[in-house]
Amino acid sequence: MRSGQFGIDDNPVFVIDQSRCIGCEACVQACAECGTHRGQSLIHLERVDRATTTQTAPMVCMHCEDPTCAQVCPADAIKQTEEGIVQSALKPRCIGCSNCVLACPFGVPKYVADFDQMMKCDMCTDRTSEGLTPMCASVCPSEALWYGTIEEFRDTRRGSLFRDFLFGRQQVRTKVYTVIDDALAGPIDALAGATTTWLDDPFGLDMEAPS
Amino acid sequence: MSRSANHLDRRGLAWGVVGVAVVIALTFIGSDRLVWFDAALVGYLFGVVFAVFGVAYRYAVWLRRPPTAMLNRRGWDAFRQRKARNVVALPSLVATHLLTQGFIRKRSRARWLAHQLVFWGCILAGLVTIPLTLGLLHFESVGQRADHYQVYISRVGTMKFDAESIVGWFMFHALDVAAVLVLAGVFIFLRRRLRDPGAMAVERSGDFLALAGLFAVSVSGLFLTVSSMWLEGRFYSALNTIHALTVILGLMYLPFGKLFHIFQRPGNLGVAYYKRANDQGAPAVCRRCGEPFASAQQIADLKEVLPQVGFDYSIEGGGNYQDTCPRCRRAHVTLAQSARVGGFG
Repeated sequence: MRSGQFGIDDNPVFVIDQSRCIGCEACVQACAECGTHRGQSLIHLERVDRATTTQTAPMVCMHCEDPTCAQVCPADAIKQTEEGIVQSALKPRCIGCSNCVLACPFGVPKYVADFDQMMKCDMCTDRTSEGLTPMCASVCPSEALWYGTIEEFRDTRRGSLFRDFLFGRQQVRTKVYTVIDDALAGPIDALAGATTTWLDDPFGLDMEAPS
Repeated sequence: MSRSANHLDRRGLAWGVVGVAVVIALTFIGSDRLVWFDAALVGYLFGVVFAVFGVAYRYAVWLRRPPTAMLNRRGWDAFRQRKARNVVALPSLVATHLLTQGFIRKRSRARWLAHQLVFWGCILAGLVTIPLTLGLLHFESVGQRADHYQVYISRVGTMKFDAESIVGWFMFHALDVAAVLVLAGVFIFLRRRLRDPGAMAVERSGDFLALAGLFAVSVSGLFLTVSSMWLEGRFYSALNTIHALTVILGLMYLPFGKLFHIFQRPGNLGVAYYKRANDQGAPAVCRRCGEPFASAQQIADLKEVLPQVGFDYSIEGGGNYQDTCPRCRRAHVTLAQSARVGGFG
């Protein structure tokens, strides 16, 4: 019997496509409703480059296969489930040092001073464990945050699912997918996008024309 | 040497053995060469010895993890930097971070109440049972008066009390009080764990095991009082064995399970000193936006720890990705992703 939208064999994936974000903040409100951290919105939503574009972008935990946050935690408080979900810090263990906040390559964990502990997105474990869509993805009108099976994605969306990133020399593979057009071009180099702004090539013409 | 012996941490073993030696020496000297050691409590002593060995071993291993070792070193460095001021600040830090646990109250009042009940119940029980087990504490009649007792710590006589007084009642029922406190806390925790969908979703097996252990120790202990006060001692021997088993198993569980956080939590004091020292030091400036975002010391420490745990965030041509503030990291990822789908929109 299926208790939610997805059955045990469906193996749904979380997809984040920041380029589709319209900044409505529905995800921010929905995130605070998550049962595992009620009242605290843990998703990030911000303007990317205020000087050159009105574009906004969300960021959820990407659930790295080898999570940097867990490796730099002195209290060994960040655990990964068998399904690859990197959980929020174990409350009894977290000593509030913020190592994870500063080391995460995606800039995801938040230090909540009132609770003296780190909190982060755990992909709505209370919902996904029952086959339901995470709160943020369930309300995202532009499908910048999306949850479903890979087959469903291929049938309804364009672009390729991708989950390899490069931060300096460090390559990181994540459980959460993003969307790109050129899957053969290798990992997404986080620093590669930093040299140009949206206005440098607003229609993507330079990308298409080989120099 | 066997394969499993090769996997044992030698420093951990050494600290474990030192811990055991201290407990045995304390028992021998404190009980006046075992004169006041109660042989009936030898099983509990075994449990204490095992727990001390296990906790010392795990603590030593834990402290050797690169980020833990770094924080331990920096915490002590920060403490020594302004020793007088930090010593003065210590009681207040202990009170807020370890005893009153206000950070839990901000999460949930019920959770805080439950934790306080379990915490103080366990402290009270430990203060009574551990000195009794090691023979450090015993009671003697005052003269020929059977209703008056004196508390002895090792050989030294301390307070006298009337067994029929309130003090006397508390002396003989301190463990019952502790059990009631713990049980009240356990029930509040259980209610949350069984009814809160969020708590149930992130449930770990150790969460229930710890509560079950505390419940078993408290209930079996209370049954001893019930047997002696209202059942004329019926079933006392069997109940005593059951209670001893639950306590000894509980002590043996300490180093491995959820309750190990009792020994980790004081690390929070080191973090508090580290943060205070860092606040007074130079800030780290983001390589992208140029804004200060953390302490330069903590970023330098992270850059030292990361290669030790298998990460290389250095940038070809110089610099380190870790010098980027979290907000700019998110912007980097977003811009890089959008560039690979032909821009925003």
